[in-house]
Amino acid sequence: MNIADFQDFARRFAESRSAVISLAVSVLFIVCAVFAPLLAPTDPYDLTQLQLSDALKPTGSKRMLPGEEVRANIRVDGGTASVQPASPTPTRLSIVASPCGPNCLAVGVEPPDAKLASLQVRNLPAGATVEGGRKHPIQPWWTLDNPDSNQARITSAGPLPAGLTLLAIAKSLEQETGFVFRLGTDNFGRDMLSAILYGIRISVYVGLVAAGAAMVLGTALGLLAAWRGGVADAVIMRAVDFMLGLPALLVGLAILAILGNGVSKVVLAVVIVQWSYYARTARSFAISELGKEYVEAARCLRLSPVRIMLRHVLPNCMPQIIVLFTLNIAAAISMESSLSFLGVGLPLTRPSLGMLIASGYEFIFSQKYWISIYPGIVLLVMIVAMNLLGDRLRDLNNPRLDR
Amino acid sequence: MNEPIFEANDLSRSFTVGSSPFRDLANHFLHDRQPTVLRAVDNVSITLAEGETLGVVGESGCGKSTLARLIAGILPVSSGERRFRGEAYESLLARKRDALKIQMVFQDPLSSLNPRLRVGEIVGEAAVLHGVVPRAKVKDYVVEILARVGLPADSVGRYPHQFSGGQRQRVGIARALAVKPQMLICDEAVAALDVSVQAQIINLLMDIKRDSGLAMIFISHDLGVIRHLCDRVAVMYLGRVVELAKTSELFASPTHPYTRMLLEGMPKISMQRRKFMPIQGEIPSPLNPPAGCHFHPRCPIATDHCREIRPELREIKPGHMHACLNIEAR
Ligand SMILES: Nc1ncnc2c1ncn2[C@@H]1O[C@H](COP(=O)(O)OP(=O)(O)OP(=O)(O)O)[C@@H](O)[C@H]1O
Ligand SMILES: [Mg+2]
Repeated sequence: MNIADFQDFARRFAESRSAVISLAVSVLFIVCAVFAPLLAPTDPYDLTQLQLSDALKPTGSKRMLPGEEVRANIRVDGGTASVQPASPTPTRLSIVASPCGPNCLAVGVEPPDAKLASLQVRNLPAGATVEGGRKHPIQPWWTLDNPDSNQARITSAGPLPAGLTLLAIAKSLEQETGFVFRLGTDNFGRDMLSAILYGIRISVYVGLVAAGAAMVLGTALGLLAAWRGGVADAVIMRAVDFMLGLPALLVGLAILAILGNGVSKVVLAVVIVQWSYYARTARSFAISELGKEYVEAARCLRLSPVRIMLRHVLPNCMPQIIVLFTLNIAAAISMESSLSFLGVGLPLTRPSLGMLIASGYEFIFSQKYWISIYPGIVLLVMIVAMNLLGDRLRDLNNPRLDR
Repeated sequence: MNEPIFEANDLSRSFTVGSSPFRDLANHFLHDRQPTVLRAVDNVSITLAEGETLGVVGESGCGKSTLARLIAGILPVSSGERRFRGEAYESLLARKRDALKIQMVFQDPLSSLNPRLRVGEIVGEAAVLHGVVPRAKVKDYVVEILARVGLPADSVGRYPHQFSGGQRQRVGIARALAVKPQMLICDEAVAALDVSVQAQIINLLMDIKRDSGLAMIFISHDLGVIRHLCDRVAVMYLGRVVELAKTSELFASPTHPYTRMLLEGMPKISMQRRKFMPIQGEIPSPLNPPAGCHFHPRCPIATDHCREIRPELREIKPGHMHACLNIEAR
């Protein structure tokens, strides 16, 4: 196709506004699919980022940092104090200590604006007190609840004994962050926006690859059956009848139950189910085309059978196959989500749109609608856009329909 | 007469009606119904001389199109042999470049053109593929061929549905001419056209024949057209040739009863085009033709003989052959 042909094609395509809109939407979805890792605010596949405290948050809520506990040993030596962090894991807060005059030691946290739930100092020697704190009934532990200044001042009547080691434990409050869950979170605390973007990626991939592979395989077999006829035709068409007789979902379930889950296996299952539709359609249209005189003319021009089938017969069957293709993209996406819903499609850690819808299903009656609704809208728009696009392509593909 | 360009000896073609691999298998074990065999072309022998035009006439379903496809080499024979310039088709068809020398023009101007190709490609495709013309020059070549059949140069970029019936038939003729054929088979090439357009296409074919000396087989059920265009005529009845003679001789003194009935139905005003007049008696089913001479149920001079013995085509005058048991040379 040269440039002039293409311009002509584009001009005719643009005559339908709904087709242009659906093309734009489809392109948008493909961009989303391709650039999902760049567009998504979080990586929904990274399980370490998930925290259960974020689960089921509505649209627009902010991510909360959970409170943490910080421990440090403070060694007091004469007039100086040295701090030895003692938390088992790295922490955002750190404990600092400094003398605050004779017989006085200030214990605080960095950064100073952190909100603390409590600050406890253990192993105080007799006679030392924490200002405003309360002592444990038995142990020499002093606790300060909701310290305003994030600081505990230890005072004692006499100088603190040399070599004294204190243990300070700070517990911080939950902290709000600047990160907003624009579409809320699901029941694992996953950001829905990111999950939807990655879900589009999976759906588009499965839809295009599976329906495309099924189209190539099924059409090739259909053309072969139409061209060879006889035994080849009988065998292929009996296989088609067999496949069409089985419920698609059941076949998918059986295949995935044997092979295990994963994107490539879902694709394989869809191809095994869908090739028969293409084979049947391609065969019946190819047979009707083969009966036309232009095929006899091509034979008389001594063109090779492969060329006749691919260059002359196939393009005349293409409009019907493309219609089937658009329908089957949607069917492939829905089959993938059905399989995921049944727990055999994709692993739970890699949510597709269908799986997000399914996972929100159990919360929809507790008014946590966003888990199902947003992926549902996205899926709906995607399928409608692809169907409109396919319809327009079909019309353009058929020169006779075009005025 | 000089060496024939084409020669067919005892050409036959049967079709099995209502068979499928599974049914065949079932029949094989159950010894059930035998699949019905239809002899569409039955022991036909014809020759075509260089530059000659042979007409083939006959009622619908008598096997004219089947014969055309056998001669074009796009349908395998059931038995018999076909020779082009003395060479058997089996070896000729293996060399595609040489097999191109036999071309065909089809009846339906629309369905004989691929609707998804532009005229430029329809006409030029085979010529380029078989090296008749280099790819770089194909555009000019196609325009030249189109001019020869009377189509404007801008037809190249158009699709078949954008033409009228007569123009489409010109495209079909251009497609055949583009590969430089030496023998052209026209299967009812004008039957689907309007009367005025028919005349134009016939004139075009005659011009082409005069300019290039093409040998032609012209199939029609229009006796006027045949008389106008052909040097010799073969009359077919239910798969068999029943009479074969020079056009003038056949129209002046037909010998076979079937031919006579055909011509009686034709008005005497010469050049007036005429379709077959209905002939008394029903056309027998080709699936179950009468024994002996196929024509005997409708023949006014049939004898018991005719019901049993199959008449062979025999020469009754030099250059005039017929297949009738009862009528001898006059
Ligand atoms: N592929 C086929 N399979 C089965 N039967 C066929 C096939 N092709 C032709 N026939 C039968 O062979 C007989 C001759 O057909 P053919 O098309 O050659 O007739 P025709 O003389 O060209 O008729 P018409 O004038 O209608 O074109 C018909 O009875 C037809 O039904
Ligand atoms: Mg015919």
